[in-house]
Amino acid sequence: MVLAIVTICLFCPWIAPRDPYEIGASEPFLGPNKTNWFGTDDLGRDLLSRILYGGRITILVAIAATVIALIIGTAWGLAAGVRRGWLDEALMRTADATMAIPQILFGLVCISAVGASVISLPIVVGFLLSPTTARMARSAVVTELSSQYVVAAQASGFTRTRLIWSEVMPNIAPQLLVQLSINAAAAVMLEATLSFIGLGIQPPNASWGTLMLQGYAKIWNTYWFVAFPALAVTITILAFNAYGERIRKNLDSRKSTVNE
Amino acid sequence: MSAQIIDVKNLSRAFKGSGGSVLALDSISLTVKEGTTLAVVGESGSGKTTAARLILGLDKATGGSITVLGQEISQLSSNQIRPLRREIQVVQQDPFSQLNRRHTVKRIIEGPMLAFKVGDKSSREQRVIELLEAVGLQKEHLTRKPHELSGGQCQRVAIARALALDPKILILDEAVSALDVSVRAQVLNLLKKLQKVRGLTYLFITHDLGVAHYMADEIVVMFRGRIVERGTREEIFQTPRHHYTAGLLASVPVADFSITKKSSHEVVAQATPVKTDACAYRSRCAVGRDKKDCAEKTLTETMGSQTHGWICHFPINR
Amino acid sequence: MSNVIEVRNLTVTVPTSKGRSPVIENLSFSMKQGEKLGLVGESGSGKSLTAYSLMRLIKNPVQIDSGEIFINGVNVLQLSEEDFRKYRGSEIAMIYQDPMSALNPIMKVGDQIIESIQLHKKISHKDALKLAVESLESVGIPEPEERINSYPFEMSGGMLQRVVIAIALSGEPKILIADEATTALDVTTQERVLTLLNRLAEERNLSVLLITHDLGVAAQFTDRINVMYGGRLVERGPIKDVFTDPLHPYTRALLDSRCDYTVDVNQPIKSIAGQPPRPDNRPSGCVFAPRCEHAQERCADSAPELRTFSAREVACVRVEELALGKKL
Repeated sequence: MVLAIVTICLFCPWIAPRDPYEIGASEPFLGPNKTNWFGTDDLGRDLLSRILYGGRITILVAIAATVIALIIGTAWGLAAGVRRGWLDEALMRTADATMAIPQILFGLVCISAVGASVISLPIVVGFLLSPTTARMARSAVVTELSSQYVVAAQASGFTRTRLIWSEVMPNIAPQLLVQLSINAAAAVMLEATLSFIGLGIQPPNASWGTLMLQGYAKIWNTYWFVAFPALAVTITILAFNAYGERIRKNLDSRKSTVNE
Repeated sequence: MSAQIIDVKNLSRAFKGSGGSVLALDSISLTVKEGTTLAVVGESGSGKTTAARLILGLDKATGGSITVLGQEISQLSSNQIRPLRREIQVVQQDPFSQLNRRHTVKRIIEGPMLAFKVGDKSSREQRVIELLEAVGLQKEHLTRKPHELSGGQCQRVAIARALALDPKILILDEAVSALDVSVRAQVLNLLKKLQKVRGLTYLFITHDLGVAHYMADEIVVMFRGRIVERGTREEIFQTPRHHYTAGLLASVPVADFSITKKSSHEVVAQATPVKTDACAYRSRCAVGRDKKDCAEKTLTETMGSQTHGWICHFPINR
Repeated sequence: MSNVIEVRNLTVTVPTSKGRSPVIENLSFSMKQGEKLGLVGESGSGKSLTAYSLMRLIKNPVQIDSGEIFINGVNVLQLSEEDFRKYRGSEIAMIYQDPMSALNPIMKVGDQIIESIQLHKKISHKDALKLAVESLESVGIPEPEERINSYPFEMSGGMLQRVVIAIALSGEPKILIADEATTALDVTTQERVLTLLNRLAEERNLSVLLITHDLGVAAQFTDRINVMYGGRLVERGPIKDVFTDPLHPYTRALLDSRCDYTVDVNQPIKSIAGQPPRPDNRPSGCVFAPRCEHAQERCADSAPELRTFSAREVACVRVEELALGKKL
């Protein structure tokens, strides 16, 4: 069921019924009706289409950010966990420091510096999410490296790089997958927030956050303008989190086979 | 006289701890002759695992030398030792954790061959099947993963992997300790057979005296980083001279009611500090705990025969 | 004297690809007060699960399907969870293999004993402290007044196991279950802990159920022995008799596959071919038959019941012939 939600979220953006950019197609500020299922915005654009297209942008940004977080975070964590010593300390304290700064503020500062765009947003969000991944990757690597199969691989003559790649990575992969899911949910949240305060996706492109920004001012009269994007954000985040939970449960159940 | 394949002289390994440095290994010396089995017997804290890691080249010594197959390895880097790894392999204690749980049996046994880029896909597969049969498993096990196998089967896979590159030496680090009694028997029989057929040299680390007795030609007994007694199987089991050895023998519970067990003369240890060169066993020794020599005098090894040696000021006399 | 524990036809199952399969099947045995009973078997024999069943610590997906467990005459399987909780610690207690994980690493050892004491007795902290020191002394820990303030990581395996024993006995139970309690200890420490258990058992007239795979330990410590295989009890009787003259083919084979220093080094050890059955793959009839060198066709017909023979009980249809055959 969760999988279905996620799939719909991903494929939805390509089945928009109407051109979201067409201004004046209908009367502005219409509530939900037969032609415009979600109503229209201040320029008469169909809200449903805008949400679908917005969803595409949001999700693409989130996925890009997640992948970036994964790459940066894993490299970060692995470097620390494999090398240990002062490098480990330095890298992990940096991670702690990064995590200590409130994410929104940090994002604000970064975006202001480089300007908001579809390129800069995933990179900044990805960077913001990487410390948690780094922490997780490091602890996973350290645990695996103390296992007997690693000793066996070393004795078998594996070089360190090969060892990390072919022996340790497959064992860390499931945890990284879970982290991916959690990061995706966080990325959606971050992107929506940044867009909502105007530092994310700019008009005429719109992500859910941008839509919420546009509809926010008129919230009492035209509730649908804000409500639908907000609902979309909520459901997506829940879906990603639930998916991550499911993967984690499968992991746990597979690890503990029935032993007497 | 057969060649000395492993020659360890005055090997020491110190670890920096919170209270200063701790000597996990205190100047131990041992040799293993080609085609024979040396059992290293000791309890926890004896340093036997540290010794194994050093001989395998997985750790650097802080003193002394290790010569394996004519090469001095104690100060070599990981890369420099690598070629030697084809000759010396390890089988560890836990049947499941020493195998990569995400790999199939085939990939596990292939491991060493992949690491050294030996052969091609089909010749490797051929060799894996040969090895499987040599350890008593079948082709159908190739695609299984460790959690689908029993403890004994996993251990056989570990042995097959260790033999993949046709090594001369196998280090068995408590390799049967985690197995059921009947499975242990199977694996020990297998190990003995393999040794005979392939002329392998074994360094068998164990806390189990029964296993040491069955497998070893020669035995060294370790206590707190030192070798307290060494000898042939007969010398150790029939005429032990060190009190710790005697204590170990007396503590082993035997399921044979026709044997009357000697009772152990050990006393509960007091936490008394020990002067470094004097006897570390003193606080548990019924004979030595009150003797001044044992607390202060430096110990040196006394040899009773060419093979039998011990470090004790007041050894057991026969 | 009545039995302090009586188990009747206990069956415990787990879910497998074939539905629910038994991991303990039709197990019946009893213990008297002050007796030291050994439960010996290999992996998959069901011995640990027996202990968990006695303590009612069986959790889903493992289930007790049928049977009765009487502790001092009360069928504890029929009690509510709350009513049975009173039994744990005060009637029946258990110690496990790894003392490190049985103890709370961030609590002082003394506090853990006190916590246990106060669970069973309504006394002040000061009095409980005094009792804790006494209990440390009774398990042979030197300088108990100082040790009270130690943390688990400061103590050796042997000492920790003694602490665990002290905690287990703090509620003054009549039954102590020791599940592989000395397996993780050095052999010299093991001997000391077994000697301690022996002394405590005698002093307090404690019934001890010792679960182990180590035949030597069973021989040294127990009075009577139950041998389990594949979830069934295959032989039981006085330890000396069973080990000197095993009647069930499995007991015989198990003893033959020992590796202690009495074994002939020039011969291969007589091992049992094959492996123990998995729950989803149990043979019909006698559970040991597929690996038994004396098996005949009729062994696959039905699982043999325990029958009395030569002052013992053996679950083998051929026990008379085999015993006779040995004498010839």
